[in-house]
Amino acid sequence: MSSRQSSRHLLRLQPLCLTLLALCLALLDWLPLGSGTASAQDTPDFFRQYCVSCHTIGGGRLTGPDLKNVLQRQKREWLANFMMDPRGVIDSGDPYALKIFEEARKVPMPNLTGMTRDRVEKLLDLIEAESKLEKSQFKGLQISNKPFTDEDRSQGRELFLGHRRLKKGGTACISCHSVQGLPALGGGRLGPDLTKVYERLKGRKSLSAWLVAPGTETMQPIFKTHPLEPDEIHTLVAFFEAHASEQPASPAVNRVTFLLLGLVLSCTLIFVFDSLWKQRFTGVRRALVEQYTAKKPNSPQEH
Amino acid sequence: MNIRSQVSMVFHLDKCIGCHTCSIACKNVWTDRKGAEYMWWNNVETKPGTGYPTQWEDQDKYRGGWEKNSQDKLVIKSTGKARVVPNIFHNPHMPSMDDYYEPWTYDYQNLFNAPEGADQPIAKAISMITGEDIDIQAGPNWDDDLGGSEIYAANDPNLAGLTEQQRLQLNSVERLVFYYLPRICNHCLNPCCVASCPSGALYKRGEDGIVLIDQKRCRAWRSCVAACPYKKTYFNWFTGKSEKCILCFPRLETGQAPACFHSCVGRIRYLGVLLYDADRLEEVANMPDNQLVEGQRSLILNPHDPEVIRGAQSAGIPDSVIESAQQSPVYKFVMDWKIALPPHIEYRTLPMLFYVPPMSPVIANFEDGLANHSMDSLFHGIDQSRVPMQYFANLFGAGHEGVVRYAMGKQLAVRWHRRAETVGDVDRATADRYLHEADLTVEDAEAIYRLTSLCTFEDRFVIPPMHREQAIEMIKDPYEVKAETGFGFVGGPQRGL
Repeated sequence: MSSRQSSRHLLRLQPLCLTLLALCLALLDWLPLGSGTASAQDTPDFFRQYCVSCHTIGGGRLTGPDLKNVLQRQKREWLANFMMDPRGVIDSGDPYALKIFEEARKVPMPNLTGMTRDRVEKLLDLIEAESKLEKSQFKGLQISNKPFTDEDRSQGRELFLGHRRLKKGGTACISCHSVQGLPALGGGRLGPDLTKVYERLKGRKSLSAWLVAPGTETMQPIFKTHPLEPDEIHTLVAFFEAHASEQPASPAVNRVTFLLLGLVLSCTLIFVFDSLWKQRFTGVRRALVEQYTAKKPNSPQEH
Repeated sequence: MNIRSQVSMVFHLDKCIGCHTCSIACKNVWTDRKGAEYMWWNNVETKPGTGYPTQWEDQDKYRGGWEKNSQDKLVIKSTGKARVVPNIFHNPHMPSMDDYYEPWTYDYQNLFNAPEGADQPIAKAISMITGEDIDIQAGPNWDDDLGGSEIYAANDPNLAGLTEQQRLQLNSVERLVFYYLPRICNHCLNPCCVASCPSGALYKRGEDGIVLIDQKRCRAWRSCVAACPYKKTYFNWFTGKSEKCILCFPRLETGQAPACFHSCVGRIRYLGVLLYDADRLEEVANMPDNQLVEGQRSLILNPHDPEVIRGAQSAGIPDSVIESAQQSPVYKFVMDWKIALPPHIEYRTLPMLFYVPPMSPVIANFEDGLANHSMDSLFHGIDQSRVPMQYFANLFGAGHEGVVRYAMGKQLAVRWHRRAETVGDVDRATADRYLHEADLTVEDAEAIYRLTSLCTFEDRFVIPPMHREQAIEMIKDPYEVKAETGFGFVGGPQRGL
């Protein structure tokens, strides 16, 4: 390769280098390295976004325990470790972790991204400060206490099935979840069966809180930008409450129905297309030869 | 006016001896490949006969070409936006392998390797599709010279409209008649194959009108196979791409005649460039059947007309191509003399391969077991020929005799004229009367005689300079690859996207 050509290759590489550089800068900006720059409002926002679906400060337990005065119940060091890697601590067999895991009916606290040592310290400071207040801003959301009507239940069902769209554009529950009593194909199988979710999350209050800001890795990215409206949460909880008494659908039965339906459908299609293309193996030439030999049965077949 | 140039062809059927040299030349150059064994981009058919694939002219069976729908709009007969859905996995109107033929070879090695035995070893026929022994049932020219005529010739779609007596006459022993019809892709002006392709893989080359299939863009839908009424696109089962006659464009680009033209023993083939008006294509393709032949002629422009020359120049056609168009033998046959006719123009694809219809032999009478060829005059009239005029009208005139009668009359007049000139047993007055009746001057008759009988290689093939250096600029900038080596790696066609 001549020197002219090699210099041209370098020139060609130039845009690539620039792009890479820009990407690196963007990454630096995005990574939570400069946590010192976080504003005072940052930590309460984080708490509101990630924690309130399971925890309150002075509002009683939801899925997770009430965090009021948590620093008096457990050492700060232990709490920090747990917050950064809840699953790891539970799996390590720590007795206190197992105890609260049992209390939460084995719904584990998810490992959150961005839970750095610095962040944890700030969160603990926030919890400590809020615990001292008479009425914390995280005491809990104003969940309506209206009794569930049949209309709520049927509206909840419509929302679950996606017959009615969620106002903020979130994905309908059925795309990932199933409940007992759905039509033949059932719901999605990405998330767990929600028949017993009302019981599992210990009733109305914690289920409603969960739905305000769903915290799992799959749901969070969707519902962070498209949250549920309070009346939607109300009707959905009504729907789940009505289902709590039923037995969850057996996944094996669902799978068999799915398979059978698929088989029936493909057989029907095969027959439909077969009748549409009945003529596909009868060419033009063979028909001429057969027509001729049928007319003159005694003559030898024309080759 | 939107003037374009089109490399066009004339086949003079009277001179075709049915030797298949053209087919073999094409096969050896282009289709001697895996997956292409059954393809004959050039084939020679005996007429009356059903051809290759069997009964390709029967568009009730194959549904090729264009048709006018209930709103008098031109639509593709084989497919449509609604019809494509139920037929997406199987197009029901395509020729089957049996309609082409199952290609075969012979087990020649057995002649050398067979164990010693009481009998001579033989070379068994082996299918080139399955590799198994094959009981040969059909071939691409199975009905050659009327072989199996009760099956094949009797079912020729062009026999439509013939009386029972005329059909019997075509078939009866010692009276039967046949001629040959060599076929390649017609490189139509309104190609149905191009219009039908869902992938946009087919295109008509802007600079010379050659219809080609982009082997990279073809997605094996086979819509072109169903849509072409002449059944001149073929599906290659090995590469998963469709293929067709490319009019040997690599040869044309280097100034050589296509392989089948070059090798033609009877020198029946002519090639030259025509200028035509692309703006009027739709109007002409929509004309009623009986006006189609004249309509297509009205598209072709006189390359000597100063206005046409100016128009062609402003349309970017190089002067050398315009000069070539002025020498074109095809223009003489189609426009000056009007003795070459398009095949089955009722398919409305406006084919640019024209045929000079053959003068079939005289009908002889049998008296006392002897054939009596004596008749009132030296040459029989065109209505006394063994092939009825209606047959040619079905093939070359969309069912209408007028244009065929005109073309045949001229050829007959040229024979009277030359008889008077060379032998002299016909008086000049008779010959002149025939010339006058056929709308022919002595000069034209002489020119027809020279171009059909005494033509040289240069007379038959007036190949326009292809100007690839200009044509390539339409799709890429040649300076992009300046000072670099080679053209990159050119891979063969491959199944898949």
